[in-house]
Amino acid sequence: METYIAFTSEPIVSPAAGSAGREIGAELEFHGIVRETEHGAAIAGLQYEAYVPMAEREIARIIAGLNTQWPCETVWFIHRIGWVPVGEPSLYIRIRSSHRQQAFHFCMALIDQLKTDAPIWKRAALPENISQPGRSPLDS
Amino acid sequence: MKVLAFAAARERAGFAELEIPVNPSDTPRAILTRIAPHMSLADLRAAVDYEYWDWDTPIGAAAELAVIPPVSGG
Repeated sequence: METYIAFTSEPIVSPAAGSAGREIGAELEFHGIVRETEHGAAIAGLQYEAYVPMAEREIARIIAGLNTQWPCETVWFIHRIGWVPVGEPSLYIRIRSSHRQQAFHFCMALIDQLKTDAPIWKRAALPENISQPGRSPLDS
Repeated sequence: MKVLAFAAARERAGFAELEIPVNPSDTPRAILTRIAPHMSLADLRAAVDYEYWDWDTPIGAAAELAVIPPVSGG
């Protein structure tokens, strides 16, 4: 299995994937997008923080473990850090596998385990705290 | 050893990064008790050289200890 794991402070751009092998029957893409509410309250966006060297290792460990249960050919994982405004993706996953069941199960489990073990944190910012477009209210 | 505290743990500890002398027999709990004696470790995890680590297991020759609060990625 091939894996691509990255953290970026820039808006996520879907990476070039190249052509799939002839045994690939499923390609699944997931974008996790920042919603306009958090716990019922309106927000302007989320400020993400990660312990990147450890997060990369944890994601690699999670992917390797899941691959024994739902073998896949290629997994792309990109997580944005820093300020992410409402409506923009904070997480991108692409999975190629022979069959759709593997890709769907793999993606769900990867996100579930990410949320319990990967050292990544988010903090919501309220709309009234926005002073300049595109700038995190948590920067000051 | 470098000691890092992230997110809510940073606010509780009062530091983001420290460089302190340690012994291989020190545990993460002993180190945190030394540098932040009033800090509760409840709901926090320790990581040593990028791996989750038991609070009471000696650090050995490790170079980095991180204090990890509950995570919320995705």
